This record gives sequence, C-alpha cells and structure tokens, in this order.
Amino acid sequence: MLNPDGGLLRGTLDVLILKALSWGPRHGYAVAEWVQVVTEGELLVEEGPLYTALHRLEKNGLLTSEWGYSDNNRRAKYYELSRAGRQQLRAEVSSWERYARAVGKALAAASPSVA
Amino acid sequence: MRRVFRVPFKPHVDRDVDDELAFHLDMRVRRLVDAGWSREAAREEALRQFGDLNTVRDSCVAMDQQRERSMRRVNLITELVQDTTFALRTLRHNIGYAAVIVIALAIGIGANTAIFTLVDALLVTTLPVKNPDALVAIGDPRRTGGMSIGSPRSDLLSYQLYKDLARENTVFSDVVATGRSGRLDVRIDSAHQELEHPRGRFVTGNYFSVLGVPASAGRTFGTEVERGADAAPVATISYGYWTRRFHNDPGIIGKTILVNNLRITIVGVAAPRFTGEVVGIYTDIWLPVAISDALNPNRRTLDDRSAAWLLALGRLKPGATLGQAKQQVPTILQRAIVSNATPSDAKAFLDVKPVYYVESGAKGLSRVRVNFQAPLLTLMIGVALLLCIICANVANLMLARSIARGRELSVRQALGAGRSRLVRQLLTESAVLAFISAAAGLLFAWWGSRTLLRLASAGQLDIGMNLTVLAFTLGVSLAAVALFGLLPALRASRLDLASSIRSGAQSLSGSLGGRGGGQRAPLGKVLIASQVTLSVVLLVGATMLARSLRNTQATDIGVDRDHLIIVDVDVLARGYRGPALARLAHDLRDRIAAIPGIGAVSFSENGVFSGSDNGTSLQVPGFVARSVQDTLISYDHVGPGYFTATGTRLLEGRELTAADENKPEGVIVVNESFAKFFFPGQPAVGRFIRADSLSLQIVGVVADIHQNGIKEDNLRRMYRPYVNTSQVAQPGSLRLAVRTVGDPTAVVQQIRKTVVSVDSSLPIDGVDPLAKLMERFIAQERLVAQLATAFGVLALLLAAIGLYGLMTYSISRRTREIGLRIALGAQRSRVLRLVLLDAMRLVVVGLVVGIVVAYLSTGLLETQLNGVKPGDPLSIVVAALVLMGAAVLAALFPALRAARVEPMIALRSE
Repeated sequence: MLNPDGGLLRGTLDVLILKALSWGPRHGYAVAEWVQVVTEGELLVEEGPLYTALHRLEKNGLLTSEWGYSDNNRRAKYYELSRAGRQQLRAEVSSWERYARAVGKALAAASPSVA
Repeated sequence: MRRVFRVPFKPHVDRDVDDELAFHLDMRVRRLVDAGWSREAAREEALRQFGDLNTVRDSCVAMDQQRERSMRRVNLITELVQDTTFALRTLRHNIGYAAVIVIALAIGIGANTAIFTLVDALLVTTLPVKNPDALVAIGDPRRTGGMSIGSPRSDLLSYQLYKDLARENTVFSDVVATGRSGRLDVRIDSAHQELEHPRGRFVTGNYFSVLGVPASAGRTFGTEVERGADAAPVATISYGYWTRRFHNDPGIIGKTILVNNLRITIVGVAAPRFTGEVVGIYTDIWLPVAISDALNPNRRTLDDRSAAWLLALGRLKPGATLGQAKQQVPTILQRAIVSNATPSDAKAFLDVKPVYYVESGAKGLSRVRVNFQAPLLTLMIGVALLLCIICANVANLMLARSIARGRELSVRQALGAGRSRLVRQLLTESAVLAFISAAAGLLFAWWGSRTLLRLASAGQLDIGMNLTVLAFTLGVSLAAVALFGLLPALRASRLDLASSIRSGAQSLSGSLGGRGGGQRAPLGKVLIASQVTLSVVLLVGATMLARSLRNTQATDIGVDRDHLIIVDVDVLARGYRGPALARLAHDLRDRIAAIPGIGAVSFSENGVFSGSDNGTSLQVPGFVARSVQDTLISYDHVGPGYFTATGTRLLEGRELTAADENKPEGVIVVNESFAKFFFPGQPAVGRFIRADSLSLQIVGVVADIHQNGIKEDNLRRMYRPYVNTSQVAQPGSLRLAVRTVGDPTAVVQQIRKTVVSVDSSLPIDGVDPLAKLMERFIAQERLVAQLATAFGVLALLLAAIGLYGLMTYSISRRTREIGLRIALGAQRSRVLRLVLLDAMRLVVVGLVVGIVVAYLSTGLLETQLNGVKPGDPLSIVVAALVLMGAAVLAALFPALRAARVEPMIALRSE
C-alpha cells in the first residue's frame, strides 16, 4: 500500500478522506489531523497531497464545500460528503475488506499450492 | 448546494485556495507553538510537513477552475430550459400575438421560397452539364417544340442544315441538334396494352458526350446511332422517368419497348440531375434523331431541307468566343439555305433580312423562360414587398409588446433579475418564436413551391425546392425576429427602474404609440406608415392585374366561344393522308352533324386553341416589306363552312365552300388583320398573293380569330381549303369544329361515340368545349393575377393587424388620460374622433406615399396588362379605398373601447 517513494496509494488517501468526513463537515486541517492520529503518523508523510485530493474529490462531486468559521473564529473551508461521496465510501470500505481478507488468507496459507 | 458566497470568477478561485492553505499552515504553526516550538522553527516545520506548497496550490486552483466551468455550463443549460419554458408559457398566454407572427413569417418564408425557386430554376441556373458556359444555342430558343415545313427560315434548322453547320464551322469542337419528338405512343410491356406518352426528344448521337452527361445506370448512346450505322434502335431514359415509371429497376436496361410500333432498346439512364437541355420541361426519353423518320413514317424530315425543326447547341473550342460564333454561324447558315433553295425562295428569304439566333446556351433552351420572365419578375417584386411588410409587421408587434411589458421587466429587474438574464430571457422568447415560425415556414415553402409549380405549368415543370433560397429567406425572417427581439431587450435593460414603475401609464400628453417623448414611438409609427405604403403598392398592382384578367376573359376571340366543341383525332397515327384523309374528314363531319343538338360542323388542320399553327412567308404585289416579320403570316387549312361552324363574322366576300376543294386555281380567305395590313384602305377580295410558289386569290375576309392565345401580336392569317391536291404542304392533322345549339358539354359523349363508330381504332386526343381549351392559355395570366391578389390581401390584412395592435396598445397606455378627459367633461364621441384621427393621420401619410410609388412603378407591369394602362386611376382609387376601409375597421374597435372607458375605473386602474 505504500508507493516506492513512501507516499500513499491514491485510492487509499481518498478513502481515508471520505472516512474522515463521514462524521460530519470538517476543514482540511481537521482532516489532516484525523489522518495523523488514526494512522499514528505512519501513512501520511506530507499534508499537501491531502489538499490536492480534497479538491479533486470535490470536482468529481463526492464532496461539497462551504466557507464557515472555525472554533477560533477564523474563516475556513468546510468539506462535507455528498450523497455520491457516501455511496463511494460504502463501496470502498466493502471492497477494502474483501481485499484485506483475501490477502490475509493468502499470507496465512500453510501449503505451497492447492493445484 | 449551500454556500456562503458564490464563487463566480477565477480570481476568487485563486484567493480561496490561498486562504484555505494559509488557514492550514496557521493552524499547524499554532499547534507547534503551543507545543513549545519557536515561531520561526514552527513555520519551517509546518511547511516541511506540508510538502511542495506551490505544486499543491496550482493543482488545487486548476481543479477548482474546472469545477467552476462545468458548473457554469450546467447553470446555463438550466437557465436556458427555464427561459424556454417561460417563453412558451408567455407565448401561450399571448396566443394571438404569437399566431400572427408565426403565420405571417411562415407565409413570407414559404411564398418567397416558392417564387424565388422558380426564378432561380428558370432564369438563373445553368444546365447541369460539363462546362455549360462554353455552350452556344443556335436557333430561336423559344421554339423547342417547333416544326415548320415550307419556305426556308432562320429560327429553326433542318437536319441537313445542321449537318452543314457541324461540318463547316471552325469555332465549335462539336455541335449537337435536338428537336421535338411529337407525341410518342409507347408500350413498355407488349402484354400490357395501355399506351403511354412519355415526353421524348430527338437528339444527335453526340448529345451525351458533347454535353458531358454520364449514365447513372447502363450507358448513354453515342455516335454509333447516327445514320448509316446499322445499329439497332436505342433510347436513353432520364433518371426521373426511371424513378417514376420503373421504380429504379436496373432490369429495365437492355429491355426492348415499343415506340410508335418500332422496337427500341433502352440502353441506360442519364445522370440524376440532368433533365434535358430544355429548361423547365423534363425529358423522359431521348431518341436518336437518325430514327425519327422510322418513328414518324408519315412525316419524314431527315432529307427534307424544308422541314425546319431542330435547335443546335455548339460547344466552343478552347479559345473560341461567343462573338466569333455570332460572326460565323449566320454566314454558314445563310450560304447553306440560299444554295439549296429555289431561286424565288432564296430571293424571298434574303429580301426580308433573316434574323439568326446565336446566343449563350449555358442556361439551356427554354420557351417557358421567355414566357415566364415578366410574370416571374412581377411576382418576385410582389413577394419581396410582402416579406418587407411581414418583417415590418413582426417588428411592430414585438416593439409594441415590449413597450407594454416595460413594467413587468422593471419589476423583475427590481426583484433582482440581472440585466444579462433579462436580455437572455427576451432573446429566448424571440428565438422560440423564430424557430416555430421557421418550422411552419419550411412546411409552407415545401407545400407552396409544389402547388405553385403545378398551377404555373400544368405539371410541365419539374423543379425541386431550392434549399439555398430557403436558407436565405429563413435567414432574413429570423434576422428580423432576432433584431426586433433584441432591440426591446437592450432597451428594457436600460430602464430607469423607479420612474418606470411609478408611472404605469403616466403621460397625459402621451401621443399615439408610445410614452411621452419615448424613442420607440416614432419607430412604431414609421413601421405602420411604411406597411401601409407597401400594401398600397401591392394592392394597386394586384387590382390592375385582376382588371386585366377580366378584360382578357371577356375578350372577343372571334368565335362563338360558348357553343363550340373541338374534336381532335390523331390521323397520322392511323396513316390517313391525301384522299383518305379528305374522305375521313367529310365522313366525320356528316356523322357528327347528324347528332341532335348540333348546329354546324366543319374541320381544319389546326383550329382554335390547339397550340399548333402553320407559318409561311408571302409576297404581295405592290407591298414592300420592312423586315422579315412583315412577310410572315400564319395559315390554316379549313373545310367547307368553317366560319359558319365557328361562328366567325364574314366581313367581305364569301367563305370557302365544297366547290373550292380540289380546284387547280387556289382561293383563300384572309382575316381582317391580314386585309388591313397588306391592303390598307382597299378591298382585299379579288386580290392575288404568292406563297409557297403558288398564286392565290382572296375570295373573302373574316373577323380575326384569336386562336393561339388571347393576346397575340401577329394575327395576320389566311385560310386555304383543307382538301386540295395542289398544295405543297398537305394537312397533317384533323380537328373538327362543332357548334352546338345548347350546352356543349351535353353532347361530348355522343360525339365520342360517333367518332368511334367511324373508325374504332382512331385515337381521340380530345373532345373539349372551347372554354376548357382556352383555360390553358390564360392559366398563367390567371395565376399571376391570383397570386398578386393573394399577396395584396395578405398585405392588407397584415397592415390592418399592425394598426389594430398599435392602436390597442396605445389606448391601453392612455386609459387614464382618456378617463380623465371624460371625467372633466369630454364627450365620448369626441374621444372616439380623437383616437380615430390619430390613427388615420398615420394611414393617410402611408397612403399618399404609396399612391405616388404605385403610380410611378406600375409601368413595370405594362407587358402583362391587357386593356389597363400603368398608373390606372381606377385601380389606384379602388386600392386606396379598400385600404382606408380596412384601416378604419382596424382602428374602430380600439377606439370604441376607449370611448367606453369608465372614468372612475380608468383613474383607479394604475
């Protein structure tokens, strides 16, 4: 799941963002923080690509955005899942689980071949 | 989508991305400072954690811009759908307004397309052949169906003369000749015994190769069909005939058909667009001129130099010019004619200075073109005027409506509709109107051109709708709608909101057609006045044409037109000639005369309104001809008692009787024009003339018979006995003139039965009351008059609608003012007069200008008028009165409404 240069696979970052927003609207910084915390700093090497991903997801209609005010009363751009975004998240989660199960099974296999 | 701010423009996109990223970095820095970092170090750490700031920023901006663009597109489409729905709803609420515009535009588009299609096809388009501009037409192009046997002439060529020309000229790379086929009796299937009569044309073998017309199926015939080559008789058919008759069946190629009882093989089909060299009349089948004698054994022409019936088309050599051809061709023709004629014929021919026809052949040959030129130009002007009127009317209606909507627009603007949004809304409305009109116009154009062509040519013309013309007319009409849709839109968007809302129908001083001092009012007035002007011009023209048509219909044509039946039998088809033909003629006459209800019967070669005529030139002792025209006369061969049978007045001497038949010394009867022209102020009876090398004595003078059309230029005609062995040219056809006591239609069936009882196999070409035959000849004049009248009535109607619209609008704006006047004691009749006078001022201005224009321009109609002078005062008065009447009616209803205004309601109304 890591690129050769140590970055995240693109799909993985997208699904993390969708997950981060599944509890409600957040601004980009909050999304970055959440990713840092839940992955214990293992996955996100740089924060910049996160923003590229946010804007791309918005362009593709998975997110909507609006300007609001942060806790410390600063103007910030809040992202929210659109209906398409929610569907996408559900689909990604189930396919990720299938994938993880399959890989996990393969890695736990005892015999070299079934053939 | 909920958003605090809309983000409509690019600069915002940049700034938003910058703000967002700055917020992130600030938050990160603050967090690090809270954790004990120094500000500087925190800043560096935040940037490091972020990564490549510029790249991220640029790609974010790029993506946001893409998103903006697609969003704007979606918005635009949504708004367009909204606008269209709204426009349709608005138009549905104003169905009368929309209907008038749509119908007017449809008529304008349709009528213009139809007329200009005809104009283009007949007057402008060149033949669809290879390099048409190098073609030169030799012979009178009007005489495409001509056949003349007798004295030498210069307007048509005999086959031998054509050969001489082809051989001796040095300007053409090749010359083709074409001539009429006469009626063809065709049997496609010998099992199928029904006779068909496709339109044929005899052409020389090089016809297709010289014109450069390829075959679209099979092959076209070539020079192998020339005389001397003993190839089997062949024919090429036209694409149109192939489609109509054979449904594009390729099996027809190589098939043998019977033409005039001769077996002929169809070798192929010509290219689709090629309908022949005769413009406006499509040819179904082309036959080699070499087999014309075999097909018409009773009229052999190939070796007969006195049989002139061909027209030639030469293709100029590279470098040769039309001017050179005009120099050389007459020389060759004259030498050939003179050296082959008898000395007396040659002298007579040269004495009258023959006219040779050598013109550009690029547009083909056409009788129809010459006949239709003047009427078509008339109709063209008429229909163009109509289009102008329609555009003015549409513009006027749209203007009036937009002014009426000024308040609505102001309110919508005040409620926050953007200026561009308003303009777009109004334009959408115009566009919707324009599209509906265009669709209706298209339908009308399609139907109109077909109907017009059918009426104009009795099915002779085969011309499809011209798409270029259609596109042009559509363009003009739609531009008018767009322009006058846009004008109010731009104006509306400039509206001063406050004043416009405050003052609904404000001005007490308001004058007709607009708010006080408003800029639109003069334009509306100008449009109405010019509509009236154009309508007057059209109406005057239409009235003159209609009056002329009445004159034509009432013209004394010299025969008893209401009691005459013409029986046309095809004697050539059955080989009747000489004594047998004479016996048949007498037999038929006697048998028909025995039918009850028949007054008198006689016969003739051509008769009245048959479309055929004989011509010759003559010499009159003591008469000096000034030109060839002076010696040309027409003649007919007639039976005993012919003038009694036709009801023609005998002016001098006696008519031809049975005693004149087969006399060695020739006697003739001449008509009044003949007698007056050659023997002015003297008795003609007893005088001698020379024609066709015979000396003929005049025994009687009869009134002129207009037998080839109601308006004939040269009426000079003589009549020889039908049965006479000494004549050079024997009659080749037989037509009986039957005068009935009562209604001629009652005995038509009886006559048919009688003809069958004399010879059951004799083809009957027609048994028709004269009135029906005459109809063909005035059909064109009638059509022009009817179309012009239709245009005139339409123009009148449109002017009335325009005036009505303007008045209604103006009065609705002045309701308050009128109410106030009535409240202050003005009498209702005074109000009525005031409003009517306002309208009439405009009408009178338009009327006066229109009358002047009509007076000056109706000279263009001169050639088409019969008994009506250009600038005819009666027509002008009639047109002016009709228009005045329509205008008063159009203004009366709104004026009456105004006079009924209740002052209190009017004052409260705004």
